[in-house]
Amino acid sequence: MPEFDLDSFKKTWQEQPVQKKYDDNEILKMLNRKSRNYVKYIFWISVAEFLLFSVMGIFYFFQSEEDNGFLNILEKLGAQKTPQIESSFDNIYWILKVLSIIVTAYFVFKFYQNYRKIRIEENLKGLITRIITFKKTVNAFILISILLLVAFTSIFTIFIFYSLNAQNVEPKSSEMTIFVVGVIVTTAFSVLLIWLYYRLVYGIIMSKLDKNLKQLREIDSQEI
Amino acid sequence: MLKLIFSLSSCYKNYTSTLASKEKEFAQLIKDNQGLIIKVSRLYTNSLEDEEDLFQEIVLQLWRSYDSFKGNSKISTWMYRVALNTAITLFRKKAKSLPTNELDINHADFIEDDDEKQQQVSLLYTVIKTLPNVERAIVMMYLDDLPYKDIAENLGITEVNARVKMNRLKKTLKEKMEKYA
Repeated sequence: MPEFDLDSFKKTWQEQPVQKKYDDNEILKMLNRKSRNYVKYIFWISVAEFLLFSVMGIFYFFQSEEDNGFLNILEKLGAQKTPQIESSFDNIYWILKVLSIIVTAYFVFKFYQNYRKIRIEENLKGLITRIITFKKTVNAFILISILLLVAFTSIFTIFIFYSLNAQNVEPKSSEMTIFVVGVIVTTAFSVLLIWLYYRLVYGIIMSKLDKNLKQLREIDSQEI
Repeated sequence: MLKLIFSLSSCYKNYTSTLASKEKEFAQLIKDNQGLIIKVSRLYTNSLEDEEDLFQEIVLQLWRSYDSFKGNSKISTWMYRVALNTAITLFRKKAKSLPTNELDINHADFIEDDDEKQQQVSLLYTVIKTLPNVERAIVMMYLDDLPYKDIAENLGITEVNARVKMNRLKKTLKEKMEKYA
């Protein structure tokens, strides 16, 4: 092969024959085809994540106080359900519920807002950045949900200790151990499961986008 | 009541006829520019099935952004952006495709053509496919004679960096073409 020169090859490239020609009917049929794309995929995964975490929040919101595990635990540990304890518990519970709803509402709004900003006709870097920002909204929601879960558990645990102390109740050490280990194991297990899911889904979807964004950044940071 | 039904039916008729003429106009636009979409589809896939799927996905994405494009930018800019964005970022292949890091001169790109020039074009496709996604886009737009300003804008990089990268890519491609010819 003679020496290859890309510039003199431009004409040949531009004049390459198009092997397949689609006619009007074939093109029109394509317009009704179902799209198979990553953004759609990310969108539905995110909707499922939102629904799952919101349903969990709603479940706690409508859970009656009699069914609440923490008050039952408090009784099992030997404390009495006094009106003062119930009223303090109600207040804490109400604040946490409202906080949880505000957080969910804020993220649903951000999720929709960031989704609407994704435009296919934007430049490649802008598009990738917007998709990543969109997905990050959902990830931030999951992360904050984990933090809220840990915070709720910690606050109620502190509340139990505070109530026991106020009533001068000393629970049996075996019951106390079961309670403390139970709280730690359940919380750790929930956090681990959510974290694993987060790593898996986030990793698979984002690796492709990150790779392309890295390429663009490398080009923009190359030594001239 | 009858008046309302009549007015609604007339609105619907207007809507369907406008849609039909818009679809026709769009189909013509795709027909006139399908070479560009075919090139992108061929550069970013490794099988004929994926190539056809990508072509259709690009057409669909172009259709969905057709309203926002009208009058806002050049046809070529809009088409390149949507086609490359779809190929690089959006497209989800059915099955895992073969890796293109290793140059495979037995690839269908190469063996299908008899004409010497077309054999070179096919070899160039195979060689470009060994490059990372963004570099493939730069080479394709360069070969299609897009100014560096447009190449840079379509990718979201600076014009200077697009130029420097392309000069380096010319050397890489030359070496690979001569090695595998």
